[in-house]
Order: sequence, then structure tokens, then C-alpha cells
Amino acid sequence: MVAPEGTSLLAVLALAASLAPGAARAASCCGGGGGGAAMLARGDRAMADLSLEWERYDGFWDLDGRHRPDPAGSSLSQVRATLAGGLRLAPSWQVAGALPFAWNRNTYSGLSTRTRGPGDIAISVWFEALDERSAWRMKEAADLVPSVTIGLGLTVPTGVSPYDDVPSSFDVTGRGFYRLDASLLVEKSYRALSLSLSGAYGRHLARPVNRVYGKWVEPYRKRLGDRASAGLSLGYRHFVGTAGHSLTATASLAWLQEAAGILGGSRDPTSSIARTAAGLALSFASTDSDWAARLSWSHAIQRQGWGENFPTTDIFTLGVRRALR
Amino acid sequence: MRSASPLLLAAALAAGCGGTLDDLFPSSADRRPPVQAGAEGPAVGQLAPDFTLTDVATGAPVSLHAALSAARGAVLYFTMWCPICDAHMTHMQWNAIPAYPGVRFFALDYVSGSAAQARAAQQAAGWDPTDFTVLADVGAQVERFYSAPMQIVVVGGDRVVRLNGEYDWPAVQAALGSLP
Repeated sequence: MVAPEGTSLLAVLALAASLAPGAARAASCCGGGGGGAAMLARGDRAMADLSLEWERYDGFWDLDGRHRPDPAGSSLSQVRATLAGGLRLAPSWQVAGALPFAWNRNTYSGLSTRTRGPGDIAISVWFEALDERSAWRMKEAADLVPSVTIGLGLTVPTGVSPYDDVPSSFDVTGRGFYRLDASLLVEKSYRALSLSLSGAYGRHLARPVNRVYGKWVEPYRKRLGDRASAGLSLGYRHFVGTAGHSLTATASLAWLQEAAGILGGSRDPTSSIARTAAGLALSFASTDSDWAARLSWSHAIQRQGWGENFPTTDIFTLGVRRALR
Repeated sequence: MRSASPLLLAAALAAGCGGTLDDLFPSSADRRPPVQAGAEGPAVGQLAPDFTLTDVATGAPVSLHAALSAARGAVLYFTMWCPICDAHMTHMQWNAIPAYPGVRFFALDYVSGSAAQARAAQQAAGWDPTDFTVLADVGAQVERFYSAPMQIVVVGGDRVVRLNGEYDWPAVQAALGSLP
């Protein structure tokens, strides 16, 4: 059974909320530009999606979880344009990809830079394991069955990383490591309400490093830590007029944690990170969901203990999607 | 798989921008240029040239060579007061500074436009007071010489560069342990 229109868009928003911020590590010091998640709605044959994101940096959590401000007079931001697409391969299988391009703008009292480059590409394969039975009735236990989607993802380090021939951290738009992710998305709708839970576990692959910020170094191996992320979102759909267009408002909470990496064979105790962010999104879908547009805001919670060793940012997104049935 | 073709094409196009092929196919080849012993330079084994920067807490000029003449060595950490910088400095504060007395620890702010602004950044970031001597590297001249953003340089009292690279604690321990 095909899930009701609009709910899968909610799922995409939820998954993006839980995964996309994790791809970035901060234009303020170490680049970002990850592509985040892309997914076809159930019943769609293909889709194309274009999004524009503006990420504004505003301080960071230190290793102890205390929130610290950026230097006075600094202004740090990244703009990302992400082109994503998806194609259904079989009734329950789809493949999707996202290609970002990032512009970094960093201003300090003594230094100002503007750089740009491609971000890291995300490719994923999704299997729709379970479809929910009904969004309109709740009379027996089977009606409680949610839709379940399982994904495998690969992040390809096409971005500009510290290990490329770049002189400065301000040039960085990617992390420089391949990453494999396993994702799970569970969502349940009842009438106008939708609840979704998403989770992902990612493993970075080790790589040799022989250059850092343009400087040749004695070669060593490095691996970023494993990362876990989760998201929770609640959406409410409202039909607009009599044509069947809909507006969906979504509130979400996203959590990300990355363990310490391995540098030269030893655990790097300074590299673990954590981030918690709240989000709001508003999406508009045409009657048959062929067209959808969305506005969203993700806000890192600037309170002690809600993150660790990571920038606190606000991410504003404007996106448009075209689906083919 | 028809859908894979556009993605691979996009990856190839992206890889062509910014020289990111190094990340797609990383190399373990040692490409460091040969180092001329006794010559001044930023590489391990070379001699660190002198510089004079302002101590942002006191306003006094600090010369590297003068500092080295009275110490076993010096650590130069290049900070922009970012999360990574904070993590590295915190780790040094708790682990390196107590373990290696006689070594001077300098944090060089290479993003602020003046000593006063560097001082304000230091205080806002919660690094006042600190065991580091914070220096204003206005214009990032010293940072550019070492090509070490958010990285660490260890120089011995004999002026020989012992380490110039990422903050790798075992490597930092080895470099500090090799000081005369």
C-alpha cells in the first residue's frame, strides 16, 4: 500500500534534519558541505531536488560542552547549493544521490576570505521494507504498523579537504574521507499527524595522509571516528483550498555524535564531537505531490551539555522538488 | 545501472574542481622535499628563524630566539579560537604543560587584526588566565611561514624544528621528549 501523499516528504525532512548537519564540520575552521540525505517518496518513479542552504556560525561548544562565542567582530557562514536526484529501481528499491557546492565566507578582525568548491557527494540505496496500512483509521493492532525504510549510504570525498593542495582551513568544503552509513527510518501517520524516527550509523574509512594544508608531511594513516545520529520529528498536514494542495509543518530534534578518530595508530582524544539541534520546517506540496517546496530552519541549541567540540550554527534551507510518478 | 552514470559523471566533474582527486585516491607516498641541514626553514630538521610578536596580555614584544635561549624548547600552537583549537589547547593544558617543565607554550592568534583584538578573543574564548603565552600573529605571517593553521610546531632550544603538523599527541610527546 502506498503511503499517503506528504508523509514521505516529512520523512525526507526528518532524515535530512538528522543527517545533513552532521556532514558539516564548520566553515569557521574545518569546512563542511556535505550533501545530506535524498530519498524518493513512496510511489514516485524519480525525483529531482534543488536546495539552497545558508549556514550561519555562532560560537561553539568546547570539549566540556560549554558554549563559547566566536571572536568579536567575526562573521562566519557557508552557503550550499545541493542538487539531488533519485530513481526507483524496483517497487521497493531506490537509489539517490546529492551533489553539493559550497561557498565559504569568513571574516575576522584581521582576516577575510571567500572561497568555494564542491562538497562531499552522498549516494544512497533505500529499501522500503514496510508500508503502513492506513493513515486514516486506527481500529486494530495492524493499523499501528509504521512504514519502515532501510538505507545504505556512501559519502564520497569530492569536497576540498585539508589534505588537498589548499593553504588554508577557509578553503575547506569537505572532510576528505569516505564514509559508509546504515540508516533506518520509521514513520507513522494518523490523519493529519505524522511522527517519524530516524537513525543512522556511519563508519569512516581509514586513509593515508601525506599532506596537510598544502604542506607535505611524513605519511601516516588517519580515520575519523564512527558517527551515530538520530532524529525525531512531528508533522501536521493541512489541506489548502479545494484543490488538494497541502501545507505541512514539522518540528524536529536531531542528535549527532562522532567518536574520537584514529591518528597515526593512536586514538585522537581531541576529535570527538556532538551536536543537538532543533528544527522547524514548512513544506508545500501540490495536489499530487509532483511539486513540493520547503522552508526549514535548524538551530543548534546553545546551552551547556547539548553539544561538544562543535560549532553552533543556524541552517536556513529553501528547497524545491519535482517528482515523477 | 542507468542511474549510476549521472552520479559518476557528477563525481568526476566535482573532482575536477579544486584538485580533490587526492581525496578520492589518497596516496601514502612521502613527497617531502629534501631538507638542507643547518638551513632556516619550517620543516622538521631545519632551524626556526626568529620572529618577534606582541604578548597580548602584557603588550611586551616576545622574540622566539630570546625565549628559546632560556628554555628547553618552545611549542607554537596556531589558534583561531575554534572548537578544534580549543580542544587541542585544552589537551595541552592538561597533559603537555605539566609534563614538560622548562618548555614555553605559545598560542599564536593568526586571525585577529591587532593585539587588543587578539586579547579580546582570548578572553571571550575563556582562555584568560592561561598557561599559554598568547601572541598576536597579525597578518598571519608566522602561520603562513609554517603553513600550520590549527596545527602545532615544536622547536628545540637549539632552534631545530622537531615537529610541524597536526596535533597528534604521541608525536607531540616524542618531539617534546627529544628536547635537549
